[in-house]
Amino acid sequence: MSLLDDIAKQALDPAYADAAARRAATDPAGVRRPARRSLAIGGVLAATLLLVLAAVQTHRHAPSAERSRQTLLDQVRRETDGVSALERRLNVLRDRTQDLSDSLLQTTKAGSALAKRLDAADLSAGTVAATGPGLQVVVDDAPAQGGSGNNQVLDRDLQSLVNALWAAGAEAIAIDDQRVTAQTAIRQAGSSILVNFEPIARPYVITAIGDPVGMATSFGASSAVARMRTYTQVYGLQFRFARADSLTVPRAPGLPLRYAKPVVGRRTGEARQ
Amino acid sequence: MIVALAVALGVTLGLVLQPTVPLDLQPYLPIAVVAALDALFGGVRAWLERIFDEKVFVVSFVSNVLVAGLIVFVGDKLGVGGELSTGIVVVLGIRIFSNAAAIRRHLFRA
Repeated sequence: MSLLDDIAKQALDPAYADAAARRAATDPAGVRRPARRSLAIGGVLAATLLLVLAAVQTHRHAPSAERSRQTLLDQVRRETDGVSALERRLNVLRDRTQDLSDSLLQTTKAGSALAKRLDAADLSAGTVAATGPGLQVVVDDAPAQGGSGNNQVLDRDLQSLVNALWAAGAEAIAIDDQRVTAQTAIRQAGSSILVNFEPIARPYVITAIGDPVGMATSFGASSAVARMRTYTQVYGLQFRFARADSLTVPRAPGLPLRYAKPVVGRRTGEARQ
Repeated sequence: MIVALAVALGVTLGLVLQPTVPLDLQPYLPIAVVAALDALFGGVRAWLERIFDEKVFVVSFVSNVLVAGLIVFVGDKLGVGGELSTGIVVVLGIRIFSNAAAIRRHLFRA
């Protein structure tokens, strides 16, 4: 490339050669004037200053970017810890309120009847943990190979499985440690699946409490299971389910209702037939 | 000797004062440094070849830095700032390399 050759050949500014030739013609003795010397010193000074400036600037900026990242990370970690501490405290307080209201209600006959109804309502609303026999369904992504999106479990797979479980007569369902209630959304956010607005990790374990035999029969015959079986063959997804004698589902986070109110003229306790 | 003093003074001043480059000029700092390095290497080579000239050195230094900054500035306005800085770094890099090679030949005769 002639352009690059030119650059390399003219690496030394031709002005130096010109100036030297001029000097040789006018002033053969080569006497240097002091004013010129200070010019050179000034030039070197400016160039060095520029270099140090750039070095200092880069040095000063690199750690500040790292620092702000670290600060953000610390903040996130601290707030997450705060949230889980509050959640723990909420659970403890809920238990205590439950105990207190139970013991209070037990003192009268009408109260104990009310307590029984309250327990049933709690159970179906998912605000208490539940235990019993049922089915356990395990779904997982295909073993990593190529990394295409085709071999991953999607939110709609979990949705259809949960629907099939409800249809098969499940009484309480949880995905991993998230209870599925009337307020639960199962949805994809990027590469992770959110249940109750909390990300859940694979393998996805769906726990459903209900009549094990009846559920196994009806769920096993559902179209959701047929589809999952196809996916296992085509895409290599992992899918299996088994009956279990004793399963536990945690209680729901209990999102507060801010707009929904009971219909007037009907007592809250009798909202259920 | 005096040049070495000037270098020492420049380093000391830079480290002690730690002047801050205005935010608007910061994108041009790396390019200005490369241009300054080119002028420095050219000066050293000219000195070794006994044709060093103070005026040429200062003028080439100042104009190198200004022109390099200006090209990047114009490039930024046109949306090709990155490409133009690459071009400047390539051109000045080649010059720095060949000047450094000439300096090496003068110093070590190899």
